Amino acid sequence: MAQQIEDKQNHPTARGLKRLAMAAIIVLISPLIMIAAASGDYGEQIFEQNLRVGEGIEIEHSVKIEVVDTSTDIIDSARFRVSSYLVPVRMLTIFQGDMPTEYETYSGARIYLEVVSVYGETALLRVTGPDNWRVTGYYEAEETETGSEPAAEAVTVPELEIKRTLDMTSVEQGQLVLVTFKIKNDGNGTATGIEMDEPLLRGTYQEGCPATLGDIAAGATVRVNYDLKIVDTPSGTYELEPTLLNYKSESGASYSSESSSNTLVVTAKEVLLPELEIKITIESGDDVIICGDRFPATVRIDNTGNATSGRATIKSHLPDDVRVADGDLEPVYESIKPGDYEEYEVMLIAYEPGKHVIKMDVMWADKEASASAEFWAERSSLDKYYPHILAVVPIGLLVVGIIRRHREYSY
Amino acid sequence: MLNILVLGLGQCGNRILDSINSEAFGGNGTFAKYYSNQKFPASVKTIAINTAINDLKGLKYTLAKDRFHVPHLHGVGANRTLGKKVFEDNKELIMGEIDKRGSFDLIFIITSTAGGSGSSFAPRLVEELKAAYNAQIICIAVLPFREEGSISLQNTAFCIKELIEEKPNGILLVDNQYLKKYAGDIKSAYDKINATTARRLLFLIEALNSEMLMVTDLGDLKTVMNGGVGIGTMGFYESNNGNTVKATILGSFKPSGLLFPANVYKEGARAMLIIKGDKKYLDLDLINKTIEELSTEVGQVFKGVLVKKGPSKVLSLFTLNSIPELDSLYASAADAIRTEKVKREESKRQLDDAFACIEELEPIY
Repeated sequence: MAQQIEDKQNHPTARGLKRLAMAAIIVLISPLIMIAAASGDYGEQIFEQNLRVGEGIEIEHSVKIEVVDTSTDIIDSARFRVSSYLVPVRMLTIFQGDMPTEYETYSGARIYLEVVSVYGETALLRVTGPDNWRVTGYYEAEETETGSEPAAEAVTVPELEIKRTLDMTSVEQGQLVLVTFKIKNDGNGTATGIEMDEPLLRGTYQEGCPATLGDIAAGATVRVNYDLKIVDTPSGTYELEPTLLNYKSESGASYSSESSSNTLVVTAKEVLLPELEIKITIESGDDVIICGDRFPATVRIDNTGNATSGRATIKSHLPDDVRVADGDLEPVYESIKPGDYEEYEVMLIAYEPGKHVIKMDVMWADKEASASAEFWAERSSLDKYYPHILAVVPIGLLVVGIIRRHREYSY
Repeated sequence: MLNILVLGLGQCGNRILDSINSEAFGGNGTFAKYYSNQKFPASVKTIAINTAINDLKGLKYTLAKDRFHVPHLHGVGANRTLGKKVFEDNKELIMGEIDKRGSFDLIFIITSTAGGSGSSFAPRLVEELKAAYNAQIICIAVLPFREEGSISLQNTAFCIKELIEEKPNGILLVDNQYLKKYAGDIKSAYDKINATTARRLLFLIEALNSEMLMVTDLGDLKTVMNGGVGIGTMGFYESNNGNTVKATILGSFKPSGLLFPANVYKEGARAMLIIKGDKKYLDLDLINKTIEELSTEVGQVFKGVLVKKGPSKVLSLFTLNSIPELDSLYASAADAIRTEKVKREESKRQLDDAFACIEELEPIY
């Protein structure tokens, strides 16, 4: 950049001639280019205008395109700095006559940049993209006195070097990372209008991250920090894009510097929560419960979580014809350690035949878990055949009596 | 309450005893023994005694424990001589079995006079019972069908003779020959004779054991049975169509109601009348008057009046001064014995003649 400024200031006449020639060529071929551009699938035209070095536009309050430099070589080109929300700054060098260069925003929308012509420090930039996208702002470059004599005094150029460090490179969700910037002005001029563009990592919150910095005198070092809070960033390894510093010299020339990228490993925060599970086991000899018989039911509550539970309350839902014969069906446990369990047994009685479903809930904190068990109950053989027995008993007695009598009278 | 022992000897005695047991069930049929109990009018013990086990097995209403088999294969084959020997051999067993039943006031011995076991056991048993018990002993002797054969007749003749010699308190005759006219076939006749005899005996027992309006008792029975030759029979009549008690009493003297053919008015020595029925039928004056009339012809008549619901019934029990039928029977028996003897001698002679053909000869092989 410094070199470019130097060139601009050292060869004004040659560059002026070049610009005139290029302008003539552009005037002649621009309609053709426009037709060609329009004919491609690059969306609607958003902007087409000459921009000088240092000037920029803002599209939809998000995408910023700024002419950083121009170059008139065999093929003229212009260098742009493009940034948008949550997308790291990109430096794009676009050659005149090239196919439109694509730039994708964080939301996935695409715009296309095309250099129509370059004339001196001015580039005719055409931007196409989504329909209804409009230019929402301009960066105005300070007037440069083209053709004027160079200043006699020494040129002062700020040169900021930015180093970004993280106090930890591996964090858990919910933790804070102290991000420190060490900005040193290695130039010989004061850096003013410093804007710091710190890319945002998804799922993080930058607390106290300055967007602008005060002037930094030549040789001075400034330390700035902020807290990067990892909110809900998924686990993984992330590359923190470089921090971009845009600043100007006292003469108004724009400069930029960027830090190196950092790697940050995010691990999921270990959440300590109790998790209770309840299980009911009904024991019977042959999978059938006899009505009126006592049968054991075992209830077990496991803490499968990683924290000790608070008070665990058991709630039962018994069918109407199932009663507790012995034991407490709804005990309360003050706590259950992780990996531990509580188990208790109650004796139940089913009074009616058929399918029965026992449902049990365990409630702790504001959570609950349920389990159910079903079983079949059948009448006992005695009950089932009671009428038969009632009939058989007297018949049997009668038969016995008859046999007995028969024996008494048999010789 | 009287303690009464009823002994049924031999096939005939067993069956009459079985009928008595059946009647004790109320005469309610074959299956009565399965659902009801015997109701005797007194303390009655029964024992069926026989040498033929099949006869004992054929009984239906007599308890097994009341059936006593005198061990001698399958009967004595109407042989009274053998029967007597068997009795002597088993006398202690028989008396022991009787002794198990306790003591008795009255003992009935029911037997056929024609068979082997009963006719041979009865006189001997009378002798033993008289020695063992201070009880009245009355024999109910059943006379056979006359056509049963010479053995039956001679058995009857000797049985009755021996019975009388043993002097039981009395002998009541039941004549199958006389009664069979009231039934068609032989089996029905036997069944009816047995049932009739059983009912009359139970009637008598009931009367002797009951408190009566007019009393007759065991002593009266003894006196009656001592009358005449000590042999008598029973008559029975049941009133119907509103007969007077006199008609009922006189009905019991009719030949049709007797167990043995007799002319009561002519041959009767002493009598006992047991009159049972609803009080409205029992006109005591008429009863006394009727009995007074009978006494002039029959001699001493004891009476007992038993008030029970139902029509009036009369059981008459009397002893006879003479028994023409028995004379006839003995004559027949004598004839049979003689004929048998002649036949046997003739047979023996024929056999001897036959053997004479081979006398002094030796078999040649």
